Order: sequence, then C-alpha cells, then structure tokens
Amino acid sequence: MGTFGGAYNTIAFDANKCDGCGDCMTACATAKVGVGDTARSRIQIVGSADDGFELALCRQCADPKCVTVCPAAALTKNSASGVIDWNGDKCVDCLLCTVGCAYAGIALDAGTGHVAKCDTCDGAPACVPACPHDALTYITTSRIYNEVGDWEDLFAPGLAGCQGCNTELLMRHTLRRTGPETVLATPPGCVPGMGSVGFNGTTGTKVPVFHPLLTNTAAMLAGVKRQYKRVGREVLALAIAGDGGASDVGFQSLSGAAERNEQILFMVVDNEGYMNTGMQRSSCTPYGAWTSTTPVGQGTGSGGMPSQGKTQDAKNLPLIMVNHRCEYVATASTAYMEDLYDKLDKAIAASKRGFAYLHVYSPCTTGWRFPTDQNMEVARKAVETNFVMLWEYNPADGLHFTRPVDDPLPVTEYLKAMGRFRHLSEDQISHIQGKVVENLAFVKQMAHVAKA
Amino acid sequence: MEQTKYLVVGSSHAALEAVTAIRMHDPEGSLTLLTRDPHLPYSPTVLPYVVSGRSAPDGIFLRDEKFFATLGVQLKRGTALKALHVERNAAELADGSEIAYEKVLLATGASPAIPPIPGLDQVAYHVLRTLDDATKLNAAIKNSKRAVVMGAGLVGMHAAENLVKAGAKVTIVEMAKQLTDGYFDATAAGLIAKAFTDNGATILTGSRVVKLASSAIGALLTLENGTTLEADLLLVATGVKPNMEYLAGSQVEHDRGILVSDTMQTSVANVWSAGDCAQAKGFYTDAKIMNAILPDATEQGRIAGMAMAEDPGLKKYPGGVPLNTYHFFGRHAISVGSSKVPEGGEVVTRFDEASGRYLKAIFSADNRLTGIYGVNEFFDGGVMCQLILRRIDLSPVKGRFLAEPMKVGREIMSKTWR
Amino acid sequence: MTTATLETPIPTKPAKQKVMLVEGNEAAALGVALARPDMVAVYPITPQSSLVEHVAKLIADGKMDADIVDAEGEHSVLSVLQGGALAGARTYTATCGPGLAFMFEPYFRTSGMRLPIVMSIVTRDGITPQSVWGGHQDAMTVREVGWVQVYCETVQEVLDTTIMAFKIAEHHDVMLPVNVCLDGNYLSYGTSRVELPNQEDVDAFMGAKDVNWHVALDPLRPMAVDPLTGGSGGKGPSTFVRYRKGQCRGMQNSLRVIEEVHAEWAQRFGRSFAPLVEEYRLDGADYAIMTLGSMTGAAKDAIDEARDAGKKVGLIKIKTFSPFPVEALLKSLNKIQALGVVDRSVGFRWNCGPMYQETMGVLYRLGRHIPSMSFIGGLAGADITTGHFHRVIEATEKLLSSPAPIEPVWLNEKD
Repeated sequence: MGTFGGAYNTIAFDANKCDGCGDCMTACATAKVGVGDTARSRIQIVGSADDGFELALCRQCADPKCVTVCPAAALTKNSASGVIDWNGDKCVDCLLCTVGCAYAGIALDAGTGHVAKCDTCDGAPACVPACPHDALTYITTSRIYNEVGDWEDLFAPGLAGCQGCNTELLMRHTLRRTGPETVLATPPGCVPGMGSVGFNGTTGTKVPVFHPLLTNTAAMLAGVKRQYKRVGREVLALAIAGDGGASDVGFQSLSGAAERNEQILFMVVDNEGYMNTGMQRSSCTPYGAWTSTTPVGQGTGSGGMPSQGKTQDAKNLPLIMVNHRCEYVATASTAYMEDLYDKLDKAIAASKRGFAYLHVYSPCTTGWRFPTDQNMEVARKAVETNFVMLWEYNPADGLHFTRPVDDPLPVTEYLKAMGRFRHLSEDQISHIQGKVVENLAFVKQMAHVAKA
Repeated sequence: MEQTKYLVVGSSHAALEAVTAIRMHDPEGSLTLLTRDPHLPYSPTVLPYVVSGRSAPDGIFLRDEKFFATLGVQLKRGTALKALHVERNAAELADGSEIAYEKVLLATGASPAIPPIPGLDQVAYHVLRTLDDATKLNAAIKNSKRAVVMGAGLVGMHAAENLVKAGAKVTIVEMAKQLTDGYFDATAAGLIAKAFTDNGATILTGSRVVKLASSAIGALLTLENGTTLEADLLLVATGVKPNMEYLAGSQVEHDRGILVSDTMQTSVANVWSAGDCAQAKGFYTDAKIMNAILPDATEQGRIAGMAMAEDPGLKKYPGGVPLNTYHFFGRHAISVGSSKVPEGGEVVTRFDEASGRYLKAIFSADNRLTGIYGVNEFFDGGVMCQLILRRIDLSPVKGRFLAEPMKVGREIMSKTWR
Repeated sequence: MTTATLETPIPTKPAKQKVMLVEGNEAAALGVALARPDMVAVYPITPQSSLVEHVAKLIADGKMDADIVDAEGEHSVLSVLQGGALAGARTYTATCGPGLAFMFEPYFRTSGMRLPIVMSIVTRDGITPQSVWGGHQDAMTVREVGWVQVYCETVQEVLDTTIMAFKIAEHHDVMLPVNVCLDGNYLSYGTSRVELPNQEDVDAFMGAKDVNWHVALDPLRPMAVDPLTGGSGGKGPSTFVRYRKGQCRGMQNSLRVIEEVHAEWAQRFGRSFAPLVEEYRLDGADYAIMTLGSMTGAAKDAIDEARDAGKKVGLIKIKTFSPFPVEALLKSLNKIQALGVVDRSVGFRWNCGPMYQETMGVLYRLGRHIPSMSFIGGLAGADITTGHFHRVIEATEKLLSSPAPIEPVWLNEKD
C-alpha cells in the first residue's frame, strides 16, 4: 500500500434509514456471545427517534489510540484486514484502551469482564444483514484506493482548489490512471487555476502540461498526439477542460477534433459555468440557476423574462458528442467513483482508436453555494433525481444507462441542496422538473433505439 | 563519533509514539533510539501483571526488532544516558561513548522514589519499575507468607492483590489517610479497601514506617505508633521520581520534572521531553504539573515527535488531564479529569451500597464536565475525556447524563463522527 | 544558444536543377515539400486555396511525407501545429485575410512560445469592404505580434524563400515563427519559370531538425508549457520581462540569420536574393522610391525608363519587413536626398502606408532631414503599373525642390 497504508472495508451507517430497532445489536450479541443481550453487542445504536440515531462502533482507526495506550500489546492494527485485533491472552483487563477511544469503540463487556470490540466477524459482519432498513452496509468501494493507492500521484501536493471542491480528486485519480506517459492539456479554468500548470516558473503537475487557449484545447492536443503517433511513440493525449471552454468558445475545436476522430481523451469537468473567473453563466448552466451574469433581481433580463436566474435550458454537450459518433462518450459523477473508473478505463482504451469524451458532473461548492462538506451529497442527489443521468455510448453498442434511476427523487431534493436555486418560483421548479422528465425520455429513446 | 539527526532516549510509550510521529513526516532522517533497558520496549504499566503471572514476560513487548528495522531506526539497548551536553549537541552514554544529535527527545521515564527511612538500606526489599524487577518479584511472591507493601498507589495495590491471591498475609502501609490517594476519592477508596480487607489484607492508612531492621525472615518494620511488622517480602512502592540525573549542570531547565512548552520543547531549542519525566502544563491550570500517566505519555510523545520533524499538522498540547483505570478483585474503578470542584461548580454523587456501584460527576458553573469517577459503574473513559477536553455544554442533557453517563456520552461523541 | 553548423560542405558549383512552369501557390507547395515538414494543417481560403490543394495532392501522390490535418478552421489549423511543434514536428500552413484574423489568438501565441512554425500569407485585402483580391492589409495588420515576416517578389523567390524560412525559424538564435508573404493574385496565380532544387541538396542545406529543444510537451522531459507569468510583484513580472526581452532578442538575431541563410542559399543553389533590403540602381541616385513584394517588378521597369530619361532615381525594396531592417535601410537612405514609399495597404492611424510609417522612424535615425512621402496603391487586387510608378517617381523628384505633401497619394483612386 501507499504511504498512508491501505483502505479497508468498513461498516457504514446511514442514520437517515435507522429506526433504532436494535436488530443489529441482537444479531451482534448472538453472533459474539451467544445470547441476544443487546447490552453485550459490540455495535451500539444510541440516540432517539427525536434526535436521530447514532452509531457507537469501533471505527477501526488507521491511527488507533486504543492500540497506543495498551500497555500489554494486546491490541494491534491488522494490516491485512484493517481490523484492530484484540488478543485475549495478552489483555490484562486494565481498561486503558477504553480511555483511549473517543467513540466507545472498545468497551467493557460485563458478561466476561474483558473489553470487547467489533472484529467485523472476519469480513462478514452479522449486524449488516440483520438490519431491516439497509441502514448498515459493508462498504467495499475502498477497493479503488487499494488498487490505485500505490500508483504515482502525478500532481504535486498543495494544489489550491476551493475547499470542498471535487475537481482535484478527479484530476488526481485520472492522472493516476493514465500514468506518466501522458500529455495534459488544461485550458483556462479551475484546473490550471488551482496551480496545475503553475505560476511564474513553478508547476503542480509531474507530466507535460500546458495551458491551451480556452478555444483550442482539442486542436492543440491533436497536434501533439499526431506527432507522437507519427514517430511511433505511445503517448496519451488528455484534456481536462471546463464546461465553458468546451461547450462555448472551445466547441468548434472540440467538434472538429471529434469529427476527425483525433486520438485524444477529452474530459469535461462540468461545473455548469465559468466558476474560476467568478461564476458566470455558460451554455451548460441549467435553467433558473443564479450566476453572476444571470443574477436575481427585480427587473427583466433576457427576452423580457424576469431576472430570476438563467432563462434558457442547458446545452446537453455529451449528447451532442454522441452525435459525432465518437469512439466513446460517457457521463460520470465523482459520487459514483466505481462507475467513473470503469468509464475512465474504457475512455483511455477508446482514445487509442479515436476520440473519447468523458463528461463529469462536478458540483461547485463556491459557485453553486452549498456547504463545503456537501459536494458528494449534491453530486449524488443530481443523479438520484435524474437531473443528470449516467450513461455511456460507443458506436457498436449504442447508448445505455450505467446507473439507471427508475424511482427518482423529486428534483426539489436536488435544487434545495444549494443556494443558486433558492429564489426559484413554483413555475420555474415545475419547468425544471418537466425538463428532467423530457431529458430522461429523450435519452431513454436513444438507449432504446440503440438496443433495437 | 556516532551521529544522528534524531536521538530519542527512552523506549516506552512516549518514546515509541515520538518515533512513529517523526517517521510519518520524515521517513529518512537518521533516528536512534537509546534505552538503558536491555529488553525490547515494554510498558511499566503491564508489570503488575507480570508479577501476577498473568502476562508472560516475553509477551509484553510493544514493538519488535523488525519494527525498528522497517522504519530505519537504530535501536541501542542496555545503555543509559549519562550526561547531555547541549552546548555541543552530544549525548554522553554510560559506556563512555558519545552520540552527536541534531534534535533529542528525553523520554527517560521515572524510577521508584525510595524514602529516606533509617535502616531501609540495611534490608532486602523489592521495587517495581522494570521487567527485571517484575520477574524477581514474581518469583518472590510464590514463597511469601508475610508481606508488607509500603505505599498504596496503583503499583502497590496491584502487587498487594497479587500477594493476597498467592496466599500471603499482606499488610499495606500508607502515609495518607486513604488508599489510592490522588487517583480516587474517599468513597471509592473505601470500596477498594473493603475489597482488600474482605480478601484478608490488612490496611494501615495514616501510618508511617519510621525504622527498618533485618530480621530472621527478612525485615522488621517499626511504625510511627510503635507497632512492628515483620515481613519476608517487602515492596517499596511509595511513588516515583523522574529520571533526569543526566541533566545535572546542563542548561535544560527542570523542576520536579523536565520543564516543557506546549510543544514539549525544553528551554533548549533542540531538546524535547515527554512522558513521566516531563513537567508540562495541566488542562485545568497553566501551571506545569507532573501527570505521569500512560495516555498522556503517548500524547506528549506524539506531539514531541511531530515538533521535532517539523510536521505542519502539529497541534499544541491541550494540557494533561488525569485519567486512571484500576481493576481489582474483579471490580473496576475509573477516574477521568480533576477531583477539584471549580468555583460555582457542582458535584453529583450516586452510590448504591448493595451493588457497590458508585458514580461521582463534577461540573463547572456552566455545565461542562470537569471530572467523573466510577466504581463498578462502567463508562467510556475516552468519551468522557473528550467531553472534558472539548468543553461540551451538557446543560440540555445533564439529567439524562447523570442517569446514564455511558449512553449519553456515546450519543454525543457518535454525533461528532459524521 | 548554439549557432547552426552546416551539415555538409557546400558544393563548389550548384547542381543542375529541374525547370518547371508553375504558379506562385504551387511554387510555395513545392518549397514546403522540399523542406520535409512532419505536419501541415490546412483550411482553404481565397487566394490561398490552390496552395493547400497542391500540398494535399503532393501528399496524396506520395511526393511528400507529412501528416495533413484538415482542420475545421484557421484557429485550429495553427493550434494543431502548435501542438505538433511542441511534440517536435516541423510544421507548415498558409492562410490570409479573414483566416488570419480568425487565427489571431493562437497566432499571437506562436511567437511567445517560440515555435518555429512557417506560414505563408497569400496576402489579401479586406476584410470590409469585402474583397477576395490581393493587398497587404492582412499581413500588415499583424506586424506587431512577433513573427518574422518576409515578402517575395517573384515566383522563384517564393519557392526558395519558403525553404529558407524553415531554416531561419529553426535557427537556435531565432526560434520564431516565420511568415512568407506572397501577393495574392499577382504571385499566387502568376505562372512563371522556376528552377526546382534537388531534394538531397535541400536536405544538406536544412541539416538536422531540432524544433522543440527549448520547450516541449514530452513525457521523457516533462515540463509545464506556458504557466501563468506576471503579477504586481515577486519574480512574476521579471520572469515575464525576461521572456519578452528574449523574444525581442530573437527578432533582432533573425536579421543576421536571414542574411547568413540567404548567403548560404546563394552558394548552394546559385540564386541570390537580397535578404533584408535590396538596392536597385541606387548608386548615383539623388532620390529613391521604396517598394514591397511583387510590385517591385514593375517599379524596376519604371526606374530603368526614368534612368534612360536622365532622372537620377533608384529603388529600395524591403524583403524583410519584420523585424524592420533598420541598420540595412539606413545604409541605403544615406545615399539619397528624397524618398517616396509605396504601400499596398493602409495605416489608419497615421493616414499613410504602414511601410512609410515604419520608415519614418528610420529616417529620424538618419541624423539629417530628407523629405519623404507616402503612396498607397494596389489595394484589393488593383495593378500598380509602370505608369503608376512614373507618377511616383515624378512626385518624389519634386520633393527635392518643394515641400512634402502631408496627404498620401492614392494611386488607383482615379483608374
């Protein structure tokens, strides 16, 4: 594993789904001590229906205090499983470990007189299937980290993205995947804005990187790729561009390169506007959204419409790219990393044959106005409401959904998560909901046609 | 002369945490760990269990050789630090050799404090601070019929329990008015005392040994009130004193312990100190105190290591909070925080004589927890410590908290996780 | 920086060359093929179109080994070449007029990145009033962007200069893009006899290719290309200044390199062109007229006729317009007492021709006053005939005795 060790499977808890029934505790106590005495369960549901339920459980910390304060070497972090193992033969019942843990993850079992803690039942925790509401899950997504953790991070530490931005995550993961034989083009926007290309002779990237113009990313990159192809060198030509540079002023070169089937991987980080320069509207900005050039005010703006955010719907750039019949086109979200990774792999493979296009929806904490810890939640809500859809396309198999949402949440669940939609009227909301339905029907039609 | 970037002196919790913290930030700088003990690192806290036979002497080591090899740490065992020459950044060892360092951590712990009682130097007695002490004592208790333990701190009490269980007639002599003074209050101490007397031990609190002489079976002790006690096994457990003789004549300021800042730095810029030999600020007062407990040693060691490696993630030491757990005759006592009641504060106690369950909670005037004590009343010490350190306002839940401290504490801390 | 060394010794006598009859656009295409670029990017525009058609045909026929990119517009044309050059490719394109205007954003950037891209401008007037015919307005408009710009007089000079342009651009003391300007209509479509150099001789002349030694997008030597530079303090502004000053030094170095390359060309191929400034019958002249590009042919005829008529008139032709050949021009101006400058475009700000405007700066450095005036002719495809040049000669002669007019003379206004 990398410098910081591996990532492990973990028991995750969704407080919103928990009704405090205690079935998990019964299951744990039964599995571990043979009786259903919930007081002896190593998973403890605390709290109430009024205040919300919480979970007291060993977090299997990477830097476990209980281990450091054990005088008897009875607790050890198992580097293979990630579980903190308790050795009963060494334990002297001093309880110092319970003093070390801030979350009551290890506590006295009155039935034995010893401390007891979750051992994840050797990877098959009894509590998880016992939960009738799926509030507990044994999460396996960390496999991505375990797979890529040792791969070189091709960006320097300390890129200056906004707090809570997911773009840095996306960049680092993408470059880990593409590896050092990559030339990275990143036109003016948040990606170079956070220092990836650099300032005054410094750079934040370990592969060749450049600022194309906002207008010519695809063209410049095509030139790079063609020359390496000509001299017989395998170099991945990668663009990480914003939606403004791709859908507006850079669209001509993007379309041209796609039509010529240039062998490049063009990733658009869609934060639905010119966020780096102060949150102005782009053609990817959705209807109704506040931006600094579609502000909310008392007067009338575009076409005599009231100034209540953007008055036009977003351009659907990925669908336009499908109509270029690219080698590969997909939409993705950092809230669904496994899906994103699968698509990244396919896009890299496709870029060896021709034009590959990856459109990643990227909530912007600064420009969309939501708390910095909510990025993944907002990204997830976008998908769960079908506001954005995750699909992929290639000419042979056509278009299909990779994470279909058959029972979407109302779009208000997404809209209310951020400040840029706070002003919306009922009419505007119903317009947006209508567009969600229309867009879904449209993409479904394409998926259906492709299948037929 | 041997040279090293980091020299860590000591091999217990503070030293080991410092080594880990240094290596988190500086994987390559040369690092030497020097310890007077010939063994691999172990915790003094585990020694009573070696005495009792519960812990095998070879099963208590906190790290193995491989750990140090993997981290690129040179381990020098069995050599004590004799003198620290800060003016030329050199450590003089007991064997006469020297190590030049860039930065040094003094985590040399403490040794038993031997009271100046006439005749003590004429008799055979045990102390308990090293693994060798423990294995000797373990052998001795098997043959003991009449044992005297001087000092009713946790070391003495643990040993006394072991002697009782081994079949000896045990007398505990303590100067203070109660057992475990400074760890637990009078009520808790009473519960502890009862457990001992129920098991046949004799407890003489408020008693002082004034004279010792050798006797046919071992030692003859004379108490202040004239009473005499004969012992075939004598354990002196009257407290500890920091190991810092090597600072004699040095510029490193020391008082009862080695004085350190809130980043564990001493008065000499490239010298740090942590653990039982360090005197750092307390949580409840800015005055520098001795808080020789295991959790604090790990915390101080980690901070010192981060400071030495110049880790930018370093956060300052919040001050020592007393924390103790004590397991006796199948029962347990836990104390977290200060026993002192703050001005305008409140003390709530709950005692059920039938079950022997005892709880005492101390709150500040604005309903922050400042201390909590329990006997046979389990609560999560770590959770309580966080409530104290974070100064969490318990006003909305105070009633429930007192009824079910464990449950409510868990609720509060679990909420902070997400 | 190193000075390019000759790869092979120069033959004592130029080899026999193939003779062809071609239009200027085809001559340019043949020159490009002989220079062996790795990559050409094309987008058609009148009067450049037949040039890129010829290039495409040469590639299609296997007579030229280059990757051709049919881009979706001039902006991308130059952008593709920038990428190619950064990956080590020798690159070429051609454009004019509106295409050049559309290309302006990457055009400005090419010189800043010091990419030795060669681009023909088949000069065109316009953009509005709409015109598809020749005139220097397009190339003159972008003269302050750091490209080396040379103007050709004949179809043969187009062919030869196109090859020389690569060597000038790629010289380590220069590392700048070069525009080879050939007049739309008059040179692009004008058919003429040319001698075609042999490929092996051109290969020997060109030497080894090394176009991205200074800046590259190459995983074998990763670097950040064109990070943000500047700001109000710290090392940002001074870094920017050093880049800019280096660019200016490259421009000035190109004057020497252009002379060296032309000299070598003459030795290897037996054809000599004035590299910076050409003097025609200037010795013994009291006054001179100044020309640029294909108009010079008719001007020279007019000078001959005027000389025959006893007028003491000579001609100065500018070949290298950017950087402006100040020192070379001073030498010529030192020989005369009055000057008439004929431009094929306008300088809106000074109400005169742009070349006249540039020359006024040189005249200031002369250290003595000589009268001068501006003529504007040949706009939007108009022919500048010997008749027009006789008017220029007469008006310039009058400067010796009468005050110089402030207004320019518009040669084709009453044609």
